[in-house]
Amino acid sequence: MLKCTINGVELEVKEGTSIIQAMFDNHQKIAHYCWHPGLSIAGVCRLCMVEIEGNPRLQIACNTVVTEGMNINNTSSKVQEAVKWGLDFHLINHPLDCPICDQAGECGLQDQYMEFGQYTSEMAEPKQKKRKVVDLGPTIVLDSERCILCSRCVRFTDEVSKTNELGIFNRGDHAEIGTHDGKKLDNRYSLNTVDICPVGALTSKDFRFKQRAWYLKDSDTICNGCSTGCNVKVYFNKEGLFRVKPRFNAEVNGHWMCDDGRNTYKFVNKEARLEKSQEYKNGAWNVTGAAGAVTKSFSKLLASAQPEEIGLVLTGQLTNEEYESILNTFTNTLKTKNIYHWKSPETEKNNFDGLLIRADKNPNTNGLLAAFKKHGISSTWTDLEAKLNSKQIKNLVVIGPENIAVYKDIETQVNLFTKASNLMYFTSAQVAALKASQNIQSVTLIPLKTFIEKSGSFTNHAGKVQAFKKVTTIVSDALNVNEVAQLLAGQEIKLQFVPTENLFIAENLRPDQVRLELRKKNEFFFNKG
Amino acid sequence: MSVNYKTVVQKPADKQWYLLGIATGLAITMKHLLKNLFNKKDMITLNYPEQKYDYSNRFKGNHILTVKKDGAIRCTACMLCATNCPADCITITASEHPSAEVEKYPISYEIDMLRCVFCGYCEEACPVDAIRLGPEWQTPGLNGAEFNYDIKHLAYRASLKGGVQSVVDDKERSKSGI
Repeated sequence: MLKCTINGVELEVKEGTSIIQAMFDNHQKIAHYCWHPGLSIAGVCRLCMVEIEGNPRLQIACNTVVTEGMNINNTSSKVQEAVKWGLDFHLINHPLDCPICDQAGECGLQDQYMEFGQYTSEMAEPKQKKRKVVDLGPTIVLDSERCILCSRCVRFTDEVSKTNELGIFNRGDHAEIGTHDGKKLDNRYSLNTVDICPVGALTSKDFRFKQRAWYLKDSDTICNGCSTGCNVKVYFNKEGLFRVKPRFNAEVNGHWMCDDGRNTYKFVNKEARLEKSQEYKNGAWNVTGAAGAVTKSFSKLLASAQPEEIGLVLTGQLTNEEYESILNTFTNTLKTKNIYHWKSPETEKNNFDGLLIRADKNPNTNGLLAAFKKHGISSTWTDLEAKLNSKQIKNLVVIGPENIAVYKDIETQVNLFTKASNLMYFTSAQVAALKASQNIQSVTLIPLKTFIEKSGSFTNHAGKVQAFKKVTTIVSDALNVNEVAQLLAGQEIKLQFVPTENLFIAENLRPDQVRLELRKKNEFFFNKG
Repeated sequence: MSVNYKTVVQKPADKQWYLLGIATGLAITMKHLLKNLFNKKDMITLNYPEQKYDYSNRFKGNHILTVKKDGAIRCTACMLCATNCPADCITITASEHPSAEVEKYPISYEIDMLRCVFCGYCEEACPVDAIRLGPEWQTPGLNGAEFNYDIKHLAYRASLKGGVQSVVDDKERSKSGI
């Protein structure tokens, strides 16, 4: 360990740490565009200037390693002056696009300009015009004028995705980002380049012009796109969710996430959801009463049925807590072991692309298997098929997947479920396959909450249990599976399942109470009321 | 702490000298009556609603969305007006423009006039002179929906005669090197 002093604070850092890393780890503010903790060092933006005692000239913090007894300062007037002129060079050809730029509000250049700039440009030459709205690939749009050539995106495709599509072409003020030989920027991690772009040069086609950054609140959660369980942030407001971005976790996903995971907000939004419980009666679908009341009425039917006549189907998309409560209800209260694991077609495969993406598209298959083991359930899917075909199971409770797109076999399986004389299908998604099914007898659809709307934990592929908190409510009538378990057991909804660590004690807030951390994070939003 | 105050005692009515006051008041009234009778042209009052007063262009009345030289809408859908609006009455939906020069434009721009407080903050926030408050203010409606002004009404209503041109022009700005 080395001792050094940064802005008057004495620190101990590991040998070989760069100054900027030391400052970053100790939450000290330093301007930087080209340096990114997950990428190699380029040293091209010249903004992370620091003054080192005994060194006549300013040094860049990203490419200077801390040595014993180093005294570092980045708040002196000399550093501020250097940063100011460095910024002026960056702004020489940067267009005044802020009103239409998607990055406005979360832009590194804007922040720096408000802190160090606010001067009139000293350039007499007109700005260099470059290509705008360049279609780089299926996910990304490039605006060359806004680019400050920090080369983060180029290094990302070289070092992380290893696809090498991007490069910097031409020289001097003609230099710009582009793809090689008409190749498209098309890889499964391409949208990370949008996250790391410090300006608005790379923008996501999906998010482009949907919302301004300052209208969105963010909250931490776990991606439920696959069994990797990347730590993510979701951005939302009262109109719904708008984007997903990765959150740093060295043990799981590092700084990155895949493009598929960024679509996991889509099935959460209202347009894709089942909002009211529905019933198939006399050849037509009707909207019934509140979801909780319908579920409660079903509990009497289950209580009067023989244990062998009851079945339960689960997918790997629920939380550990929900598995525990629903299995408790079925094995202990209803005394049945007819519980089945509905696997998406690729659940069994253990494919891994080497970075993040795994073939198992369920976030919590491991959690489900552990819960099955705990409750001694060893039934297979063929058992269910046999029991449904022989009409042994009459009352079937299915807790359907929320990310319905990965269940490509949904039509065949739904046709199998409808063989039960009384089917209760809990789902957050709209099940078109069920509506289209020909041989339905008696079906009740009940809305469920998605992972955004509940607290819980997922066990990922490596057995790591990751807890997450409720973000927001999209469909207020929907139930979570803890509530379903209580209602099916004939109880009222009273207790929230509280894990042993009491992680979610803050859930006992009044519904209209705004959480302090959210308020701090989004001061602007809440100031507006 | 001592507070200095004076007790004012009003004189009883029978001891007040009021005739002079009445006479002064009558004289002023008569002066205006005679002036307006013999000099009708300079009379300030109007025969409303047959006659109407023309307000200055700087009057903060109903909003106008300005247009470019080619008649297209000037607004770039940056949402700064909506952000700045204290009454939260502006709703904008942005979209991608087919031309790369324009890039972003509003496909819908609605102002709920019944919520608007005519503070003019939207005008102040606009970076491209796309929204102004105009001289119109007598705009009755039969129901609430008629006060929800859409983009067509705001930019191209009949009284604007084809639209008010914005002073900020992208092409000129581009030529001057901004």
